[in-house]
Amino acid sequence: MSTSVQNAPGSGTAAAPGAPIGELVFALIIVSIGVVGFVSGAGIQTPPSASDIGPRAFPFAVSGLLVAVGAGLVFQVLRGHRGAADEGEDVDLDAKTDWLTVGKLAGFVLLHSFLIVPLGWPVAAAILFFGAAWSLGARPWWRNLMTAIILALVLQFVFGGLLGVSLPPGFLEGLGVFGG
Amino acid sequence: MCSVDNFFLLMEGFATAMQPMYLLFALGGVLVGTAVGVLPGIGPAMTVALLMPITYSLEPTAAIIVFAGIYYGGMYGGSTTSILLNTPGESSSIVTALEGNKMAKAGRGAAALATAAVGSFVAGTIATVLLSFVAPYVAAFAVQIGPVEYVALMIVAFLTVGALLGSSVLRGLASLGLGLFIALIGFDSLTAQQRYTFGSPFLADGIDVVLVAVALFAVGEALYVGSRLRHGPIKIIPVTGGWTSWLRKEDLRRSWKPWLRGTFIGFPVGTIPAGGADVATFLSYASERKLAKGENKKQFGKGAIEGVAGPEAANNAAAAGVLVPLLTLGIPTTATAAMMLVAFQRYQIPVGPQLFESNSTLVWALIASLYVGNLMLLVLNLPLVGIWVKILQIPRPYLYSGILVFAVLGAFSVNFTPIDVIILLIVGILGFFMRRYGYPIAPMVVGLILGPIFESQLRRSLAISQGDPVALVQSPVAATIYVVLIVIFALSLLLKRRQRQFEAMVAANADASDVVRGSASSSEAAVAPTAKTTDQREDTDR
Repeated sequence: MSTSVQNAPGSGTAAAPGAPIGELVFALIIVSIGVVGFVSGAGIQTPPSASDIGPRAFPFAVSGLLVAVGAGLVFQVLRGHRGAADEGEDVDLDAKTDWLTVGKLAGFVLLHSFLIVPLGWPVAAAILFFGAAWSLGARPWWRNLMTAIILALVLQFVFGGLLGVSLPPGFLEGLGVFGG
Repeated sequence: MCSVDNFFLLMEGFATAMQPMYLLFALGGVLVGTAVGVLPGIGPAMTVALLMPITYSLEPTAAIIVFAGIYYGGMYGGSTTSILLNTPGESSSIVTALEGNKMAKAGRGAAALATAAVGSFVAGTIATVLLSFVAPYVAAFAVQIGPVEYVALMIVAFLTVGALLGSSVLRGLASLGLGLFIALIGFDSLTAQQRYTFGSPFLADGIDVVLVAVALFAVGEALYVGSRLRHGPIKIIPVTGGWTSWLRKEDLRRSWKPWLRGTFIGFPVGTIPAGGADVATFLSYASERKLAKGENKKQFGKGAIEGVAGPEAANNAAAAGVLVPLLTLGIPTTATAAMMLVAFQRYQIPVGPQLFESNSTLVWALIASLYVGNLMLLVLNLPLVGIWVKILQIPRPYLYSGILVFAVLGAFSVNFTPIDVIILLIVGILGFFMRRYGYPIAPMVVGLILGPIFESQLRRSLAISQGDPVALVQSPVAATIYVVLIVIFALSLLLKRRQRQFEAMVAANADASDVVRGSASSSEAAVAPTAKTTDQREDTDR
């Protein structure tokens, strides 16, 4: 079956459109992780008393697997055999990759990590939700903001207050129901 | 261990699970499970990973009951989505979508939902009965096996999980390798040597499993969907009529045999590591299609109720089957099972052959809660379908922003340090590229969790044999395991291939029938292009 489908026109539409450079780079990264595994694995100290195969053997085996499989994938991609991008109900496989949105989402997660300590978890989480919803195209801004604030407070209450997860409450410090 | 003992243990399990507090936890679990099953982009594995913080405050039995409810609930919820949502779903539910979606468009959505729900209940209950009687015997066998046999079992589990939980063998194995590699970071448990820490104190303790799982499932998914978000209104096929009249006599007559067949196909397939529910649903669909006669056969591809009843039953029975290797051997064969194993580990409960003896109260309470949860799901599912439809309509920007917020919550609460959120982001970006280039996520999670257990068993076996690798295959039991499982592996690969041919064929037929009956309705025409992309995605490597 695969032979008849793989050369059919348009069979690449499910994968990333354009040249498979990204896919090739990803396969090469897998190879290089394996190489790093070998190089760094050689530095693992083996106690002379070890009665078994020691702490190096399994890392070498995993690195070997990564190098072999990664090389196989590089070869496959070069021969034009592409991977099928993940499907999903909300995924439009015909759409072009929206790198800007990916960048914004990643940026807001990064920002969140720097805000947890100075502002407290609820504020940092509300900012993350607000930013992510805006990046994904939700409008109007005030409804996003309301949703963000309510969600952050509810989560702080349920996880910080009820379940006792120590999320820093920030400005809610001192209100027992939000934990701390 | 005789079966009368097991029966009493099961009754004791019921006594535990029926306590009002645990009933509430089970109810909460199945409700959350159904909701996340309904929602696109979230599965039970992601949910269990995201809810791992509750293991800090709940006692083990309560947490395990919640997770079991999520596990079963997710199976029920998924069918609602594939029947009512006008977009192609994930591959595990694609079979249900095939016939169920067509039924819904023909105004028979209610019957499709009902046969899926009742079939899931019938299959879930029978499969749980099978689980209660099969698992103790497997466990009694498993406690006798040594590290050498255990290594054999895990090698085969790695192979099947890596090769079968995805559309491409090499990509699955690469994913498995990445998981094994990440699991190596940190101190070696036997010699206390640092491995792959590159001198960083943050890496010395290793990267937490929950952190990686949440990153791969939640952040990876949010970034990936964000990169290709389907815009426009969410089209849901309306369901008409009161739910009490949904399953007519004729429907019931056509459904009960597929339910039973699906159950007895699904349970064994779930038990052996053969690619999980995916293969089971396909096998059931193929056999129903073959067995149908006359007028009913012609309906296949246009909304045959057997094509919903059988695969849905198989799906749920397989879910129960997956629990057999998990509870008796400590070997997870799906991502959700892997996350359940992590929950056990959080409580320092040793998972493996000794689980049935050392924690028998917990295990039997878990099994009893599966019966209870199944009944709850049947009672809740049909009357509450209006709520599930509402949940299906959540605006997608809010859905995926919410997933991100839950992800950072789960990541931060691992060690309460913001560094973990940054690691979350990095692994999440890895997950994004894996989705984009067709690498399955589940093998990585299984490798991450089984890797350390595998290594210590392997080194124990080799220590006993004083480094002689031949000992790994010399034991008659281990040799038998290798032979039997290699046969299963070969058969599953073959099945997987057949499945793909079959899916392509069915999708092509579905297209053709849409063209022929082009005058039927506008919504029918709208789905034709999406069906075509399903056809074309057929993997290109192999």
